[in-house]
Amino acid sequence: MSKRIYNVFFHTHTVSGLVISVALFVIFFAGSISFFRDEIINWERQQPIADNTQMDIDFDLALDSIAARHNLYGRDITIRQIHEERRVMVAITPSKDTAAVEEAQNRAFFYQDPTTQESFTYFEDFTLGEFIYRLHFFAQIPYPYGYLLSGFVAFFFLFAIVTGVLVHWKKIISNFYLFRPWAKLKTLWTDAHTALGLIGLPFQFVYALTGAVLIIGTSIMLSSASSFLYNGDSAKLTEDLSSDVAVYPFANQPDSVDFSINEMVKQAEQKWESVYASKVVVQNYGDANMHIAVDVKPTDDEQFAGLGQLAFKASTGEVVFERNPYGETSYVAGVQDFLIKLHYGNFGGYPLKIIYFIFGIITCFVIISGVLIWVEARDKKSNTPFKRKANQWVASIFLAVSLTMYPVTALSFSVIKIFKEVNDPTPHLLIFKVFFLSWLALSILFSIKRDNYFTNKWTLLLGSLLGFLVPVANGIETGNWFWKTFNPEQLQLFVVDVFWLITSGITLIIFLKIKPRMEETKVVSSSAGNSKYPAKRPAKPKLQPANTGG
Amino acid sequence: MPANKKHLTPSFHQRFAKITAGIIGGFVITSALFLVLAMLTDHVIVLMTLKFAGFMVWCALVIVPFLFKNGWKAWGLYLVAILLLLSILYIIKTQSPELLSIL
Repeated sequence: MSKRIYNVFFHTHTVSGLVISVALFVIFFAGSISFFRDEIINWERQQPIADNTQMDIDFDLALDSIAARHNLYGRDITIRQIHEERRVMVAITPSKDTAAVEEAQNRAFFYQDPTTQESFTYFEDFTLGEFIYRLHFFAQIPYPYGYLLSGFVAFFFLFAIVTGVLVHWKKIISNFYLFRPWAKLKTLWTDAHTALGLIGLPFQFVYALTGAVLIIGTSIMLSSASSFLYNGDSAKLTEDLSSDVAVYPFANQPDSVDFSINEMVKQAEQKWESVYASKVVVQNYGDANMHIAVDVKPTDDEQFAGLGQLAFKASTGEVVFERNPYGETSYVAGVQDFLIKLHYGNFGGYPLKIIYFIFGIITCFVIISGVLIWVEARDKKSNTPFKRKANQWVASIFLAVSLTMYPVTALSFSVIKIFKEVNDPTPHLLIFKVFFLSWLALSILFSIKRDNYFTNKWTLLLGSLLGFLVPVANGIETGNWFWKTFNPEQLQLFVVDVFWLITSGITLIIFLKIKPRMEETKVVSSSAGNSKYPAKRPAKPKLQPANTGG
Repeated sequence: MPANKKHLTPSFHQRFAKITAGIIGGFVITSALFLVLAMLTDHVIVLMTLKFAGFMVWCALVIVPFLFKNGWKAWGLYLVAILLLLSILYIIKTQSPELLSIL
């Protein structure tokens, strides 16, 4: 690589990284916590479910109770439980009967509690776990802008990863072993950035790519295909790229037959070894041509991707369609499964989630160190005092916004546990207020203080103290102290409490261990721009050290 | 450590050319390339591939213009590629619509 190209790539890496830094940090921090989304939600509602009990519900009873509340004739009803929560998701299409009443001409979506048969709208169901999960892709910003923003941040993250590797390529081995914690700050940040960036590289690449695909893969990437090949018929495109059982036509002949979904699910789950039901679709409800499709998936230790399907005709109960999950998996179903599993990290139980969480936090650190390198590298005499001051402002605001997410998250857990009411029809208002207002207040305070060392130290301490409060708040409020919940039924509650104990413990140790550095105290005590800095070498770019070896 | 400025593109319009060539031109090339493949082979498989591999191709095409000294030359190259791919698409769509009927 020529010197010119090297410098050009270096600059694109810097600029793309800086532009997305705050957004990317929020995405990674919220995303790391979202690995425990389902646990957090069950902890919040005190509704833990045992491992591998998803879709173990009484479908017939659930469908009857749904039918009692909704006009279902001629509609397709999809029941899924993609999260490890007690409630199942129910989606109902508009009726295919043109004479249907108005209510039946719209789609419906709600959560159904299989234990009480209560149903909840999306907002009634809202939780802190869901909030953090949606913060991970900026869903709080009005649709589609939040989604587009997070999607493009993921894409530019991919760009930053590739240019970062290109820039780093020549020294990728030698610099990996380089760590000089006692050198000047810029060197420290650089060593940390490159070493941790390399360790996290596969993880980060997978997340940048799958993240972009999941959020803008269809809306942006397939937009031209939709308009050119399908003449704008995006429903047809979606159908082509879906692995659902084909739609059986609507006969428009009301017909009431006795059928048992429970029996069909049982039949599907027993047909193949170690599979579990993942989705049940009732097509053309109450029609002569009513069909029930049951999707099953192999367990993760059996096969990574695979989709089995059985479709029954309701009136006769005979199997009209069959797909073997261990047979040839269609390309579409395989890709879909891979993308989702890789991104959600839900195929290896808690060990994998913990590793992924650590990698997520490592990535947060890579983002922070990247911004700090940028500041340190520009904090030199050849730059005008104004520029140096402006850069330090950027850094302190960035650090304040990023690092305060930790105490704010910890605070939200306790507040929600203590103050959220079970029957609140608008629980999102409390969550929004607690999270965003405390985040705003802390960000402003730490930004004004403009002392990175102070921000770092006090967000760690605040986060630790508030984090220790989370299991205490839960214990006092519900009596489910973490020493009582270590059993298969309540493991999810235990995981959240212990998560906070461990992270708070670790961050408290870090708080106690960090000490101000000589250099840093000087930066703190001196206003940026005067000449109190230790003599730094003039700005002579030394880009390729002598020990390159190639 | 910051990139040495003497190697960087100085003028705004050059930077503008490189960035737009990569993001806009790169996106059009990626889409058109996959659309040609989709029409000539199994379109479901190609479109599913576009959904994820498209980002890798697009990312590479965002990087390429930065290799050029003159960003407008990169745009020129990209325009040639776009015209080529679009004309293939146009010819297929008008001359052999039977290829489209599989959709």
